[in-house]
Amino acid sequence: MNIKLKWLCGGGILFLLLFYPKLFGIYYTNLFITFAIFAVYSVSFNLLLGFTGLFSFGHAMFFGVGGYGTALALKHISGLPLLAAVFAGMLAAAVFALILCPIVIRVSGAAFAMLHLAFGQLMFVMALKLRGLTGGEDGIGGFPLPPLRIPGLFSIDMKAPENFYYFALLVLGISLGIMWFFVKTPFGQVIVGIRDNVKRIEYLGYKVPQSKAVVYTVSAAFAGVAGSIFALFQNLISASALGILTSFAPIVNTLVGGMGSFFGPIWGSAIMEVLLEITTRYTERVELVQGLILILIIMFFPRGFIGLIQLLKQR
Amino acid sequence: MDPKTAMYIAQAIHGIAYGMVLFLVSSGLTLIFGMMDILNLAHAAFFMLAAYFCYQFLLITGNFWLALLLAPVVTAFFGILTERFLLRRIHAYGLMSQLILTVGVSLVILAAVKIFWGTENLPVKVPDYLSGLIMIGGLEYPIYRIFVILLSLIVLAIMALLLYKTRLGKIVRAAVSDADMVNALGINIPLVSTFVFGVGIWLAGVAGVAIAPILTVFPGLADQMGMDAFVVVITGGFGSLKGAFIVSIIFGLLSSYGVQFVSQLAPLLMFAFMAIVLIIRPLGLFGERE
Repeated sequence: MNIKLKWLCGGGILFLLLFYPKLFGIYYTNLFITFAIFAVYSVSFNLLLGFTGLFSFGHAMFFGVGGYGTALALKHISGLPLLAAVFAGMLAAAVFALILCPIVIRVSGAAFAMLHLAFGQLMFVMALKLRGLTGGEDGIGGFPLPPLRIPGLFSIDMKAPENFYYFALLVLGISLGIMWFFVKTPFGQVIVGIRDNVKRIEYLGYKVPQSKAVVYTVSAAFAGVAGSIFALFQNLISASALGILTSFAPIVNTLVGGMGSFFGPIWGSAIMEVLLEITTRYTERVELVQGLILILIIMFFPRGFIGLIQLLKQR
Repeated sequence: MDPKTAMYIAQAIHGIAYGMVLFLVSSGLTLIFGMMDILNLAHAAFFMLAAYFCYQFLLITGNFWLALLLAPVVTAFFGILTERFLLRRIHAYGLMSQLILTVGVSLVILAAVKIFWGTENLPVKVPDYLSGLIMIGGLEYPIYRIFVILLSLIVLAIMALLLYKTRLGKIVRAAVSDADMVNALGINIPLVSTFVFGVGIWLAGVAGVAIAPILTVFPGLADQMGMDAFVVVITGGFGSLKGAFIVSIIFGLLSSYGVQFVSQLAPLLMFAFMAIVLIIRPLGLFGERE
């Protein structure tokens, strides 16, 4: 692909994103926001899986902690600005990851995955049981949604869905950009080294546990951002955001899209979102269709969508 | 005996009964993982499927013992099909693919169960001589729970004999520690793997039938047990039967006494126990490898 075509494509996508709400209406705009949230969440998950080789089977805890962080901050601190609320969610997830680090960084492989499954489930049960803090099954809803305001310059009401679309797009886009940059730094290459050959990286003088801890925290922080936007978008965060199905979404998205590449999980999120939309529209048996789709994808396209594209290119 | 001691003993029997059922499920899980490096997330779904088969066989034949005999075997047959035609083909793609695949299988099982049997709670009736209360030393115990403990002990004894006294058991134990080497010695490891997978699912099936009369049969049956069994396998150490047994009993007692004394926090006790064990020993109580 030459440079000109690339710019043209980029411009076209940007144009489409800018006028998306006008072109497709409110229903598809909300669908797109959901997709964008899960795309960022899946990419943050893939920072661990695809780049560092750490399989987190409970990533929902960071997503959920981010959501609860934002919701609790908005509920209890009156007059909190919008961006500060998102930051609160991000910080909550990052701090939570730092607390877990000393335990989870020592293990890898299946033990890492199962440890996350267990901790994720612990968080889920706690969200259900600590009613005073989290509202139990009902979750936290109806918290105030402040306008996006820069003092003296402007104030944008977030209750209009269209405005929220642009806000979510901006925050999630910046998150993606930072993660993309993060992967491209020399440090990003070190973590790929950890995935491929831990011993060699150690021998070269890099500190493996500390590096893992950094990626882990970054990944958690952006999962937290996704969860925070999710909570704002729904104006509700409930225990299901911490549940096993939420943990499972980025795994499926990453595998369907292709875990080797940065953009794989984004493709995966789009594909799964479209498939879910179609199945829920035409059939009652969503579970059956989803299960069969998963089995078929694993059996016949084990390298995901990106792998399929690469295969077609080689021919 | 004063009521307080009686309560302690009754709760202990409750706990041990649940712990034994938990062990039946988790032993299959840990065997399969140890031998084949597969984390079978569909394990609990097979457990539920066996409970439904038990209900169905009971409906047709009216004989609980026949259902107890047949349901796990039929479930194991489905398990073997899954291993032979799905899991084996993607072995090269690693842990992640296997996880997703087994989740796909469990979703399909869940959907199939809902299509065939609906979503309501289906009762499973045991013969009269198993459903009453029994007096031991001036105390009343539900006979069925004692039967569950005995049944689990019998299955456990059969498994132990098979594993430690036969040539096949020797091969399986060797394969758990190094499957490639055993394969290189000329033993048909894929065949043994299929067998072990079948036995693992059969164990889950026995547990499913055993639990059906206590909890009734419904699609959510798999959720609780699946999570508990995974926590047992993690805490006990991957691939360790001894660890699975000890942790199962501890969890059974924790949950029964937990409900008695701190009912609000009972579900947390298990996870807290796991967290403490893992902080001290990241690979679980008896885990030796990742």
